[in-house]
Amino acid sequence: MKEGTDHTGIPVHAAALLLALLFTAVCFPLRANPAVSSSKVSEVLIVSGVSVEPDSLYAGERAIFVVRVQRPESTLVSIELPDSSALDPFYLVAQKQSSMRLSAGLAEERFEFELAVFGSGIQPLPGFVLVFRDTEGHPLERREHRSLASVFVKRLAPSGMLELRPLKPPVNPDFPFPILTAMLLAVFGTAGAVLLVLFLIKRKIRLFAETLDPAEDARRKLRKLRNHLSAGLPPAECYADLSAVMREYLERHYHIRALEAVTQEIERDLRKLGVSSFDAIMNLLRQADLVKFADSRPTAEEARSSTRQAEEIVSSGRDGSE
Amino acid sequence: MQHAAGLEELGRDIREASRFLERAEEQISSRIIGQKEVVHRVFIALLAGGHILLEGVPGLAKTLIVRTFAAAMNLQFQRIQFTPDMLPADLVGTMVYSPKDMEFHPRQGPLFANVILADEINRSPAKVQSALLEAMQEKQVTIGSSTFPLPEPFMVLATQNPIEHEGTYLLPEAQIDRFMMKVIVGYPSYDEELEIMQLAAASGTMPEVKPVVDAGDIAGARRLVDRIYVDPRVQRYIVDLVVATRNPAGHGLASLASMIEYGASPRASIFLLLAAKAHAFLQHRAYITPEDVKAIAYETLRHRIIPGYEAEADNIKTDDFIREILQHIQVP
Repeated sequence: MKEGTDHTGIPVHAAALLLALLFTAVCFPLRANPAVSSSKVSEVLIVSGVSVEPDSLYAGERAIFVVRVQRPESTLVSIELPDSSALDPFYLVAQKQSSMRLSAGLAEERFEFELAVFGSGIQPLPGFVLVFRDTEGHPLERREHRSLASVFVKRLAPSGMLELRPLKPPVNPDFPFPILTAMLLAVFGTAGAVLLVLFLIKRKIRLFAETLDPAEDARRKLRKLRNHLSAGLPPAECYADLSAVMREYLERHYHIRALEAVTQEIERDLRKLGVSSFDAIMNLLRQADLVKFADSRPTAEEARSSTRQAEEIVSSGRDGSE
Repeated sequence: MQHAAGLEELGRDIREASRFLERAEEQISSRIIGQKEVVHRVFIALLAGGHILLEGVPGLAKTLIVRTFAAAMNLQFQRIQFTPDMLPADLVGTMVYSPKDMEFHPRQGPLFANVILADEINRSPAKVQSALLEAMQEKQVTIGSSTFPLPEPFMVLATQNPIEHEGTYLLPEAQIDRFMMKVIVGYPSYDEELEIMQLAAASGTMPEVKPVVDAGDIAGARRLVDRIYVDPRVQRYIVDLVVATRNPAGHGLASLASMIEYGASPRASIFLLLAAKAHAFLQHRAYITPEDVKAIAYETLRHRIIPGYEAEADNIKTDDFIREILQHIQVP
């Protein structure tokens, strides 16, 4: 007799495996009807359980369909469900597969399907095909199984139907032009306001600086006056403006009352202060008085010269020690 | 700079014509110590054809100033002491019956002179004051059915005492307005008073004043004063000042608004301009500057502004208002 075989010629380890399987089948009976038909290679393979939970549900609800297959560890197994049209009234939502080692050389494969159930009344679960492969992935055998399990699909009450009515599919919103326009306006408006505020602040600072420095203010006004003169301002009017600029400068620089004072009063105050450019200032003011009050008619060149003279007075007053 | 041709010529004429004023001032100062401001204002009134209200306490040589001024200017002088029992006829004259031809003939009163000193004008009743003020305005007097023009120049210098109001008749505002200027005659300075005392004690009699001017000089000077150039800027400045007395708040003088009850009349603008011209003449100038206006602003405006209750309660004088206005209105 060949070593490792019994008197029937079956290898000892195969007999032991068969005995183990028989023991398992006895100890772990199928909860659902076992749609099992063993033959050839897969004699050692057992569909150890097919179950579905819950077995009673409303249309549209989901049932978990589980298939457990015991296999030798040297064999791979996969499961194929019918295509979606044949699966009706079930709809495959998700599936997952897991393995578990039962004992030496024996493992259990667990296939779990999440099925959405439709229709009504008793709905038998779909059949499936088990595909066995060797360790290298070559198919060994395909075995079809017809599931005997079923679920009971309850009719929907009118209220239930209302509750389960499908949601209105979202409509693609139009491009939000009004909102975009408003946002752009707000952005540009804010930017404009900020720029305006900055401009006003800058202007305020400049004016404040000029307020602090009467010489700078007077120089700016005299420059402007010279430009106006070049642009055709009558020389007589130039003298009137020149007098006003100088009086304002004298009032702010020497802190005397000049805008409301006549030339003689200014002369008296400046003499008291001992201003170094006294003669030049008085000469300028007297010339302006002649133009303003005595109908004297200066030439443009004289007006320009007086303006330059005024600028020199302002500059000397600023740099001087007064 | 090209000067206005007419003004240059006028300036020369003014310098020439105004020489007599220096001679007259010299004569007056030989008898009057100090009070140069008052004398100056009297010259202005003479050149501008105005009248003066002199206000000052007794003993400040008001009468002497006027008398001396008339003598130096070779003008006929009359002093009229106003009393409560005075009648208008005592001023203007009356119709006097002549037994020779058995007819009434007009006899001219003391008003027929060049310079009238109406002493203590507020001591006469209103009808006498009115007769004088009408003569001042019209420069003519009607006696009976005949109208007589007053001599040229004709100038009234009325005096009133500011401290003694018992038994006086206050001049109504409408009549005060007819005086070109109200001049306050103040006390002399310490040195002036010393000099006055020495002069009076040394001689016992006043130095004689020689006339240095004739009527033609004054008439010629007046014609030149009329020709003095007034720039529109100065005209606007004058109007600004006068309007500011009526509407101080509108000229940025809100604090005065409740203090002034009535401002100056348009006659103030006219007199301010005329007096400024005369002032410019005295400065030998052919044009007015704001300085001329400022120089006579107090005298021309002070009697035309009527202070309100608040001002009187706070003892604020019209000169304070004028000072505030002059300091606030911008000079052109």
